[in-house]
Amino acid sequence: MKRLKVTKRTLALVLGGAFVASALTSSGLTAVGADAGAFSVTKTVTRDNVDSQGNVTNVDTREVTVKADHTKDLQGRERLKISWSGAHPSGGRASNPFGENGLAQEYPVVVMQCRGKDDPSLPKAKQLRPETCWTSTRQQRSQLTQTSAAVWRLDPKASDEQRGALSGVDALPKDCTAPGSDFSLHLTPFVAADGTTYSACSSETMPPEAAVDASFPPAEQYAYTSVDGTGEVSFEARSAIENESLGCSDSVDCSIVVVPIMGTSCARGTGELGAVNTQCRAKGRFDAGSSNYTNEGVDDAVSPLYWWSASNWDNRLVIPISFGPAPNVCDLLDPRAPVGFYGSELMTQATLQWAPAYCLAKNRFKFQHNVIGDQPAFKLMQDQEVPAAFVSGKKGDTEAGAPEYAPTAVTGFAISYVVDKPDNAGEVSDLKLNARLLAKLLTQSYPASDLGRGHPGIEKNPLSINLDPEFQALNPGLDTRSREAAAVIMSLSEQSDAIDAITRYIVSDPDAKSFIAGKADPWGMTINPSYQDVKLPVDEWPLRDEYKPTVSQACLAANNDTPYLIRLAAPVTSFRKIADAMIDAWPLAQTRCTGDGSEQLPYVLGRSERQGIGSRMLLGVTTVGDAERYGLRTASLETTPGTFVGPTREGMSAAVAVAKQAKRGQPFSMDMTAVRKAKKAYPGTLVVYTAARTAGLDKPTAKLVGSFIRTATTEGQRRGTGNGYLPDGYLPLTKTGTTAKLWASAQQVASDIEGQVGTEKAPTPTESSTTPPGSVPPGSDPASFGGGSGSAIVDPPAADTPPADEDSQAAPLDADLKSLGSTEDLRSRFAAWLLPGLLLGGLLAGAASPVLRLAAARKRLR
Amino acid sequence: MTALPWSAARPSRLREIVAEAGRGSARSEKEVVISSGLLVISLILFWLVAQILLLGGLEQERAQDRLYGEFRAQLATGEAPTGGIIAPGRPVAMIEIPNLGLSEVVVEGTSPGHLMSGPGHRRDTVLPGQAGVSVLFGKSRSFGAPFKDVVNEGIGQTMLVTTAQGRSTYRIEQIRRAGDDLPAPPASGGGRITMITSLGSGTFGALDRGEVVYVDASLSSKAYQGGGARINAIAASEQKMASDTSVLPMLALTLGALLVTVVAAPFTVRRFGPVLSWTVLLPVLLALSWFAADLTVYLLPNLV
Repeated sequence: MKRLKVTKRTLALVLGGAFVASALTSSGLTAVGADAGAFSVTKTVTRDNVDSQGNVTNVDTREVTVKADHTKDLQGRERLKISWSGAHPSGGRASNPFGENGLAQEYPVVVMQCRGKDDPSLPKAKQLRPETCWTSTRQQRSQLTQTSAAVWRLDPKASDEQRGALSGVDALPKDCTAPGSDFSLHLTPFVAADGTTYSACSSETMPPEAAVDASFPPAEQYAYTSVDGTGEVSFEARSAIENESLGCSDSVDCSIVVVPIMGTSCARGTGELGAVNTQCRAKGRFDAGSSNYTNEGVDDAVSPLYWWSASNWDNRLVIPISFGPAPNVCDLLDPRAPVGFYGSELMTQATLQWAPAYCLAKNRFKFQHNVIGDQPAFKLMQDQEVPAAFVSGKKGDTEAGAPEYAPTAVTGFAISYVVDKPDNAGEVSDLKLNARLLAKLLTQSYPASDLGRGHPGIEKNPLSINLDPEFQALNPGLDTRSREAAAVIMSLSEQSDAIDAITRYIVSDPDAKSFIAGKADPWGMTINPSYQDVKLPVDEWPLRDEYKPTVSQACLAANNDTPYLIRLAAPVTSFRKIADAMIDAWPLAQTRCTGDGSEQLPYVLGRSERQGIGSRMLLGVTTVGDAERYGLRTASLETTPGTFVGPTREGMSAAVAVAKQAKRGQPFSMDMTAVRKAKKAYPGTLVVYTAARTAGLDKPTAKLVGSFIRTATTEGQRRGTGNGYLPDGYLPLTKTGTTAKLWASAQQVASDIEGQVGTEKAPTPTESSTTPPGSVPPGSDPASFGGGSGSAIVDPPAADTPPADEDSQAAPLDADLKSLGSTEDLRSRFAAWLLPGLLLGGLLAGAASPVLRLAAARKRLR
Repeated sequence: MTALPWSAARPSRLREIVAEAGRGSARSEKEVVISSGLLVISLILFWLVAQILLLGGLEQERAQDRLYGEFRAQLATGEAPTGGIIAPGRPVAMIEIPNLGLSEVVVEGTSPGHLMSGPGHRRDTVLPGQAGVSVLFGKSRSFGAPFKDVVNEGIGQTMLVTTAQGRSTYRIEQIRRAGDDLPAPPASGGGRITMITSLGSGTFGALDRGEVVYVDASLSSKAYQGGGARINAIAASEQKMASDTSVLPMLALTLGALLVTVVAAPFTVRRFGPVLSWTVLLPVLLALSWFAADLTVYLLPNLV
């Protein structure tokens, strides 16, 4: 048999690093983080047929090059861009290429994640093989067919065992049923990271992560190659957190295996296999470039069904990937108590990479970022409950502790979207939005469906954004199917400076402003009256709509308590949840009604279904960091009429250019009108500051905060994917250039905090009050901040604190946490006297009745 | 009425009076009317007491049985809620205190109607087992009195909670009454269940349920993360010691039906004879009284 000619080149491209000021030191860090690991590999792939005499005929030979944009320090669910050229053009395109939905295609490119590396010098346990490749269904790895259709049994590159009636395993596993006499069975068992072997002969014998309706949708794809031989996918890498059986982590190497399907190679079958010859040599029944909307049958020999058969497997191209430390690495490896910095979720992707650079260095402290709202975080900082807070603007009613703000990162909010072009033409890669469209989405002015049609005041509005002529004018060529999910934007239920920025962007636009004031847009659409004249900007979006539709369907009628449009908007507590919903194209709307009303299956309202690939349309507010990490597409926002700017580094840099600082140590104000006027500036840009007291902090804490700011604004601003580097989605602060003023301010603030130069202007009474039981007196030990169990900090914010005890729902979390108070005296006289009263009354009436009767009888007898 | 009738009567005379009272009188005397009225009032009050203390228990057991089946099915199919907005009345968790023999399915919502079927979960708090403070309301005297023993002998007991996310273990730390210090919010990532019920003291301590008490149980196993936003406001009828007046129209209709049945009874007896009539009327009367008493319970404080 002919040896395959393999040429393999790896190009490790250094993407980052170029922006790093050379003067910066990188103490305690290795330089690997700057290299994102762009990768490329080329290979000759073939399809050969062998006749009965053993002569080899080459049917097809192609040189395929596969590229990945980054492969190093990945986090779970991070998406990689994988592109290729030179592959066989595909036919019969499925609208959904993921998992088993993509099987009915011809000449696709199989992209999947496998544990291990493709290196024959490694021990077998560390090598990848079909058994370590993840598929989310049994159909994608094991086949049971009539022998007359068992194409794999003619594979000339396979061994004799692999060509048997039962192949893939030595003996039939216990939990599998034996195939019938004229059937052939091939099993590709899955070997999990812990060594367990799942025989994969039925859905019950698959790993737990492959269960029906598993929490994550399939990641493996059967991708489409266009007629010119090129193709591209966005591939979601799964870490051990998402997929424990696959088990990829910073210590377990994994790879992405790309198998361009060329068609199985075939030997000449005889006997019972004689019937397979034609099928094995089939070349496909779909034209290149055609679609397979109706999921018709395809020629198995050129389908992705037999990716594991020797001839297909030999054609594989392998991209080695490596995962970064898991988010909990600090908790696992560093026993020290963490120092909790509280605040903005905009920072999470940066602090995810920064934290290991602190906790894994013995001479630094164990940094921990706890996400809560900006305002509560600031209050905690002022009250000395936490050393510092991440906020995106001026906060606080008092100047207690003379807080100063050190610019730490430049990032922002993004309007992420996933929208498919009509007719199976792939995803939309450029979406434009303006302030009025955002206002329409946030004010729930689209009726969404017939249920919302009855809403007074918006009956005549388009059902969803894609039917809005204003949106269509900006984004021509999209479909006009109405969808509930396209009538709202997934947003946050919590307080956040990002919401403040979105609403500032809306009110800075005269059109949006007059729309909110009740003026119809040029196409006659009007605002939902519940939101008319809503006071903006706000940092927490109010849910005002109260319309409950009249419904006839029994299930909906049984669950008609919550207003329809509120159920549709269903805001969540964190941007991360929105990002997850975007990755899965799974709307958060609580509008899916199931059950038949019986006791076993009562009517239940739940989250709506995932959107089908090919007709997705979903919008959500996310952080720019999350959007970059998970490969979400982001919309461009209108600045001046006709100019649209996306959350690029250039856009953020232009926004920073207009930022002005009023006073030393104070936040930079970014006037939205000025940002818009700058034309090229991204309106969603936000600077995240580390805010800390410059008065009243004890020395060790002050030093610690100062050192954090210095490290974060030097080492922490080098772009890269490794520990301590700044991920994509953040604009680095540098000594020179537009961000120089932010950088200089950060250094100033760091010295101010270290020197505690401020004077206590407005000492609040809480300062002297006693700390709650169990909490650490401020300033005794810097490492005790936020650490251990004693802290009185609540991690999940407002809604989760005990509102019930005191009926204090109105009091937000940032109300003074120290005065916990005592249990209120709540008595109900009604409840106290109810039962005794009833009983006494009953007894009295019961006794009086015969007494009266007897008295009457006595009177009569007299 | 100055002296009790029998105090001045000889035993034989007493028998005469009793016999006379039994015969009744053709004349409708004022005393007889009042006496009959009092008898009816007494009957109604006793029926209510019986409904609250005894029949309600049966009803609650029946509801628990149904909820248990439903929750079990939902756990098995993975449909049990983990957060977000949950329809009131759905089972959300199962709490067990093995040492106290307590095993109850918790329903979503804390209005009087919900608490009749078991402990209720306050809708604006996290679910049991999740990080944060979850608040449960429960009755301590009526309708099975699920939280009666927790208040009396709960401290130190281990409480097991089963939700869609898994099992959690809690330890009951303290009983709080008016004036006691509030506990500090649970540490980051920790969880707590605060059970709220009622308690009484004094002469009628066994029946008095006027004071609201709190039982705090802290999570000793790992906390689960909450899923989905909770609603941020609850109705007045879901507050502590609240009643639900939305049943008033229904109650009026039921009482009306009861009245019609009672008025129709003598005519029916005359027309069809007592055996046939009462065979038909008695179940109707019982069902209507039961239903009316149930609806009346909606008007009573929910924690009793």
